[in-house]
Amino acid sequence: MFALVAVVAFTLIGAALYAVLHRELVRQQMDVLSTTSGEMMFSLTRMGTAERWARGMAKMDTLTPADGSLRFWVVSPDPHFSYGKDAAELASIAELDDGYDEVLLPGRERPMRTFARTVDALEQRPAVKFVVGIATEPYLHTLHTFVIALAALLLAAVLVIMLLCQWMASVGLRPLKRLSSEAQQISPAHPTQRLQAASLPVELDDLAHTFNGALDRLQSAYTQLEAFNADVAHELRTPLTNLIGQTQVALARPRGVQELEETLQSNLEELDRLRAIVNDMLFLARADRGEAATGLVNTVVADEVDKTIEFFEFVLDDLGLTVAVEGDIDAVAPMDRALFRRAVTNLLQNAIQHTRGGTRIVVRLERQEGGVSVAISNPGDPIDAAHLPRLFDRFYRVDAARNDQGAAHGHGLGLAIVKAVASMHGGRVFAVSADGNTAIGFNLPR
Amino acid sequence: MKILIVEDEAKTADYLHKGLTEQGCAVDVANNGIDGRHLATELDYDVIVLDAMLPGMDGFEVLRALRKTRQTPVIMLTARDGLDDRIKGLQDGADDYLVKPFSFLELLARLQALTRRGRTQEPMQLRIGDLQIDLASRKAQRGGVRIDLTAKEFALLAVLARRKGEILSKTAIAELVWDMNFDSNVNVVEVAIKRLRAKIDGPFATRLLHTIRGMGYVLEQRESETA
Repeated sequence: MFALVAVVAFTLIGAALYAVLHRELVRQQMDVLSTTSGEMMFSLTRMGTAERWARGMAKMDTLTPADGSLRFWVVSPDPHFSYGKDAAELASIAELDDGYDEVLLPGRERPMRTFARTVDALEQRPAVKFVVGIATEPYLHTLHTFVIALAALLLAAVLVIMLLCQWMASVGLRPLKRLSSEAQQISPAHPTQRLQAASLPVELDDLAHTFNGALDRLQSAYTQLEAFNADVAHELRTPLTNLIGQTQVALARPRGVQELEETLQSNLEELDRLRAIVNDMLFLARADRGEAATGLVNTVVADEVDKTIEFFEFVLDDLGLTVAVEGDIDAVAPMDRALFRRAVTNLLQNAIQHTRGGTRIVVRLERQEGGVSVAISNPGDPIDAAHLPRLFDRFYRVDAARNDQGAAHGHGLGLAIVKAVASMHGGRVFAVSADGNTAIGFNLPR
Repeated sequence: MKILIVEDEAKTADYLHKGLTEQGCAVDVANNGIDGRHLATELDYDVIVLDAMLPGMDGFEVLRALRKTRQTPVIMLTARDGLDDRIKGLQDGADDYLVKPFSFLELLARLQALTRRGRTQEPMQLRIGDLQIDLASRKAQRGGVRIDLTAKEFALLAVLARRKGEILSKTAIAELVWDMNFDSNVNVVEVAIKRLRAKIDGPFATRLLHTIRGMGYVLEQRESETA
């Protein structure tokens, strides 16, 4: 590619140089002709007699070099005042008009460049035509040599450029090659490995940063998934351990019916926990696969919220808590009612569980640009901003040491399910903690 | 009630057979699709419990073959929670659908719901021991003493009374009383039962509302028990 461009460019330059040189050579020939012609004319115009003319002819003889590269002719009606050896030559010279011209003389390969002028009559001499001719061979030779030299130079230059380009490309691509080999080494075994962006040229810096950004996101998803799997294993491990242990203990000795019954009942409780976890995990997996809620019905959001609050009526009463619905209570949004209630149930349960230093839980409905948002806020301990977006992660606990157990506390999937329900509706979740209040919610797009 | 179970998992088939027989049902078991289709089309059953994944011939095929000749109610069981499976099953003519892991109580409730369909109107007066419930006027009294109940407390009592002697799981109660048809993981039902119990059993010598640990609750008169 580079070579082709170089060839074209150099050919153009060469052609231009050739044209310039050619013109200069022609001009030089003309200069020689006009100078020589001028000098001779100066003498010839003053030569009116045959005697003086002979001196002029002798001067022309001396000026004519042996190789005949410079020639003089005088064409005259009076043979005494003619100059030029060959009659045939004179015949072709006689046809020339005043000025520059070219003439191919008999017995020559190349034409001669000529300059013709008329010398006015003086005394005995009639008006004659004075012609100076110069051979073009040396000039053509020069031109020829020049063309060969130029062609050779061009060829050499193209070769050099090709090699240079190749070298430059390989030097220029070296960082890219390095990136490529670095990228090849990135694998799940070395999840923290990144491309070295520091030593890269500016052009590649962006690429490396973008690529590293993508890797960061993948790694965080990967880490989350790994942690998730570990959490699942852990969550299942506890009830499984209880089941196996209790059953083994029960069977190790003969037991009364009542004792065996109690063991079975306890086992059943553990099994039910397992079942709930598995069902919730399956639900989350479906949402993860991008399953969307279908058959959405336009519903007054506040009505569904009220029904869910009704569900908690006794619990709220026992704990001395109240729930108020505020905001846009006429707002309507398309929803899968069962899923919506599930999400609000989980949010309310979360709010009830974490209410501290107050008794009033608020469900705030707001009509927004794209739909309706539902935010449930409870007075409670402030949550660090770093934890807020992670509240919706599966099995995420703000206080790692606190390990909520028992039916009343769920199993760490409540808010993850809220997020899944929101995403099944094409909505998003949000969490805000300020002024001793925590508000968690989601929105339903229209 | 005559029930056919088509299920290849031996343990599942065994416990379903045992459990349903103990509930007073006549139970046949087929452990592959071909036997299942044969029994289902040749004999009269009140309801069929059909696993979706079967050797020889899958549950959907059995269902399609059955629906050509009979309209026996069918509950499909599946281990896959895909919406597609659910739709496919219902399109092929299944009457209900349960995803494994399901609870035996839930299956029992669904079976009863399927066979109860189209029965005559329920009585408006229910009686459990000395507890009287009037569903029309929404009033309850025990031993001649009027019991004050909130709307939801009465709804809970009515649900239990309609299924007297039947164990109801928390999930089933949440669905029947509050229309919350999902595993809610909350202690709402426990709290509600505690309140109801305080009102209907508290002041009386005999307990009617019993807790079956790990299973749920049942409203019935037990001769041997006293408070």
